[in-house]
Amino acid sequence: MTQTITRPATVVPPPAPPRRKKHRDPSRFVRLHLPLALYLLFTLIPFYWMLVFALRPAGETALVPWPITFEHFDTVWNGIGFGLFFRNSLIIGIGTLVVVTVFALMGGYALARFKFRGQRVFLLALLCTQFIPGAMMLIPLFVIFKNAGLLNSLTGLVIADTAFQLPLALILMSGFVRNVPVELEEAAMVDGCTRLRAFFAVTLPQLRPALVAVGSFAFIGAWNNFLFALMFASRQDKFTLPVGLSYALGEFNTDFGALAAGGVVAAVPVVLVFAVVQRFLVQGLSAGAVKG
Amino acid sequence: MRTRTWAPYALIAPTLLLMAVFLVYPIASVGWFSLRQHTVTQPWKNAFIGLENFRRMLFEDPLFWQSLMFSAKWVVVEVGLQLVLGLVLALIVNETFIGRAVARALVFSPWAVSGVLTTGIWILLYNPSTGVFQQLAQWGIGDPGTSVLGDPATVFPATVVTELWRGVPFFAILLLADLQTIPNDLYEAAAVDGAGRWRRFVSVTLPHLRDAIVLSTLLRAVWEFNNVDLIYTLTGGGPANQTTTLPLYVARKAVDSHDFGYGSALTMAGFAILLFFSVLYLRLSKFGSRA
Amino acid sequence: MRRLLVALALVLSACSATSDGPTTITFWDNNGGPGRTPIYQELIKRFEAANPDIKIEYVGVPSSSVQQKYDTAIAGGSTPDVGGVTTSYLAHLVGQDALEPADDRLDNGPLKGKLLPGLLETVRQTAPDGKLYAVPASGNMDIIWYRSDRFEENKISEPSTWDDLAKAAAQLTKPAENQYGFTIRGGAGSIFQLLSEAYSYSGVEKFYDGGRSTVNDPRNAELVRKVAELYKKATPEADVNNNYTQMVAQFTGGTVAMMHHNLGSTADVMKALGPERVGAMPLPKGPSGKRTVVPNPTDGFAVFKGGKNRDAAWKFVEFLTSAESNGYWNEKVGQIPANTDVRGAEWIQKNPAVKMALGVLEDPATVLVPAPVYLPEYSSITKTDTEPLYQKVLLGQMPAQQFLDELAAKLTTAQQDWEKRK
Repeated sequence: MTQTITRPATVVPPPAPPRRKKHRDPSRFVRLHLPLALYLLFTLIPFYWMLVFALRPAGETALVPWPITFEHFDTVWNGIGFGLFFRNSLIIGIGTLVVVTVFALMGGYALARFKFRGQRVFLLALLCTQFIPGAMMLIPLFVIFKNAGLLNSLTGLVIADTAFQLPLALILMSGFVRNVPVELEEAAMVDGCTRLRAFFAVTLPQLRPALVAVGSFAFIGAWNNFLFALMFASRQDKFTLPVGLSYALGEFNTDFGALAAGGVVAAVPVVLVFAVVQRFLVQGLSAGAVKG
Repeated sequence: MRTRTWAPYALIAPTLLLMAVFLVYPIASVGWFSLRQHTVTQPWKNAFIGLENFRRMLFEDPLFWQSLMFSAKWVVVEVGLQLVLGLVLALIVNETFIGRAVARALVFSPWAVSGVLTTGIWILLYNPSTGVFQQLAQWGIGDPGTSVLGDPATVFPATVVTELWRGVPFFAILLLADLQTIPNDLYEAAAVDGAGRWRRFVSVTLPHLRDAIVLSTLLRAVWEFNNVDLIYTLTGGGPANQTTTLPLYVARKAVDSHDFGYGSALTMAGFAILLFFSVLYLRLSKFGSRA
Repeated sequence: MRRLLVALALVLSACSATSDGPTTITFWDNNGGPGRTPIYQELIKRFEAANPDIKIEYVGVPSSSVQQKYDTAIAGGSTPDVGGVTTSYLAHLVGQDALEPADDRLDNGPLKGKLLPGLLETVRQTAPDGKLYAVPASGNMDIIWYRSDRFEENKISEPSTWDDLAKAAAQLTKPAENQYGFTIRGGAGSIFQLLSEAYSYSGVEKFYDGGRSTVNDPRNAELVRKVAELYKKATPEADVNNNYTQMVAQFTGGTVAMMHHNLGSTADVMKALGPERVGAMPLPKGPSGKRTVVPNPTDGFAVFKGGKNRDAAWKFVEFLTSAESNGYWNEKVGQIPANTDVRGAEWIQKNPAVKMALGVLEDPATVLVPAPVYLPEYSSITKTDTEPLYQKVLLGQMPAQQFLDELAAKLTTAQQDWEKRK
């Protein structure tokens, strides 16, 4: 991941791709602005609904609540312990992100750049792991985790999440690697680079959007995992945000305000991470490298 | 490219190790339980019964077939719509316009929201007394007390829309990331040849995105097939089993009813179906043939 | 040589965590969340102050996943020391041989003779050997919450029969204003509520008659038809998929005027509407005029066999069910305390719902009709198998009698299996 961040963050707006049309294009409204506006509406109304519930005193129905209240946030943060859940989710999310991205890069590169015996079987095996719902594997997994001493530990949850995120991440990554022209690497090797150096010098920089995509998927998957977080931890101080959220949905606990406030706490960081990270998606490939 | 043969194996070793320890044994155990009568609350009945669970499933359980049909409908509708909308969205936010960074961050954000929370939000939104339809009714649009989740005619579209909210960004992000890797000179060359916007899309964009589309569709289909939590919390499979997918049926059998043996048999059926279609899909699309 | 061994033993014992310092026992709350977690935290604080050598590790399990959590823990051999349980799934835990019976501990401890016999009985019924596998802490009863303010506005008096209730529901329904008289629980948890409505109405006094389930008694079917008639006429359309959360949201949000639930929703209801706008009444009677009540599941505490510190675990259970703690817990939650010493407490007089429920339960004319929650298949039958069928009845796709016939047939078979094993 550090690779993606070393790109100077100060470089102000990425050079816009050359635009041939200088004058205004009226079709852009129908083609671009209108659908985008509609889609934004679809995306944002549910968020707004959650926000309103989180800030509105219980029992009120105003669409634009005023005055707003922070009592629901107080309930979840101090009353239910979302502060600690938040920290745990963050640790698990980042841990999973790092491990998954590294392993996926290795495996994805192997799938894309080598022909080796058992390749198809390996690919199919990766897919097969996604065919069984986690709930059905719970008990055998629980026994494995218990024997490995991984219950009640954040490390254990990182491993569990990694095992489940990795197959998908690896397949995705192999697709990305395949899209980076192999000729670049070969040229570097002709120039005397080892394969490893060629990879780091030529291929890796081009994989930046892939790393961001795969990494953020892994982070989100781990951040949001409910089943493992609840089942492999039996200590209040090892629970995560989804466990906390499910409190608010139980029988005898219909506190929509708390649910919404908890939702805001759970959603805001990932949404912010996205806001930052998508810049790297934008950068893409520099035209020079491809032509090189 | 010449390769030393150990290199790829070394590269996939960590993945293989994790899979062997944490996935192979649990999956094998599901296979074993599918051959047993195994109800945790009635341990005295537990025994090896061979293929009895499968016989019961295929010949005596109409709900198995019903849930399978609904699963198929769910996957086709959900993934189809996600792909089309995701592609459109990716193309839109790949354009240059003012506020693009903000727009991207916003339209992608639902993907970051968990299953529990997605249903939580949409339960608030669909709630007939405090939801968005009540608000619309106050403005004179529609009837008060409209319950999209309670009406058999609207429960399916309402559930589909909820999952679209979270699923479209997945496609959009993946396809956008891949759009970024299309060399600009390809477009320039096409433009020089006089190709219009649509021609450029068909002859440059789509072929380049092919692998990404094949993959994301396949992964998403598998994922949507096994998607339990959203439907479970939103509709509970109802009304009257109308929205019960196969994995939801598995959950109700294995978790709620503690009939782990039969639940495992249902899981194996789902496994076989997914395996069959995945192989078929990869064959037909000749995935990876470009490499 | 001996000295050396003693020294070695000392070193070893110093290394093991349990011998020195406080004993730690884990306690799983089966309904963790903003409502109940703080109550337990306060009780734990009090317990630890009184017992400095025991530390309680609290784990709040979301109620929707608590059975799965227990099942996984039992299968994996990692159970807590003490767990909150209700009789609705106690039979599953007993069936997996996970719990330690409480009979001896109770007979030789401070709780002897202090717990409501009725609640002890409901707990004992869940086990085939008739032993007590959980110490009851709190009783519950099905009631109907109603908006007293709307009843007053419309000059309607508290209905005592089902037909009065239906009439009131129709009167209070104004679809144009999004107001409905009643709400039906059609989604998760529907069958239990339906059965208690049915038996209240029918006056049938036994769940099984000669080994056959009485669920499909024509009088029960009559009630189911009457409920189905209310659907969409005097209830919101959404009710067919209504679970607890949605149902309570309708009531507290002001959409419906009457809601059938139990004392467990006291906190939710009172917080949203306040005592001046809400009243509680028992489930209405039917033409027979008899008061027949299907008892609600009993809450209690169980000690797991797998725990290492069972003495400390029992000490904690005894503390939780002592008059002071039991009174505190039930006052906060608004349910019936199991400890009879709490009976005279002032708060019970001030809580109209609990007072009313106690009145019904203590009335000698009341007949209890316990549902067979002891059947290992009970939750499977009443949830997975029949909840969708009830939805069909509400949607007019299945006759009420046929639905009850199917339910009765399954309950009869399960009961026969159980009798054979007993």
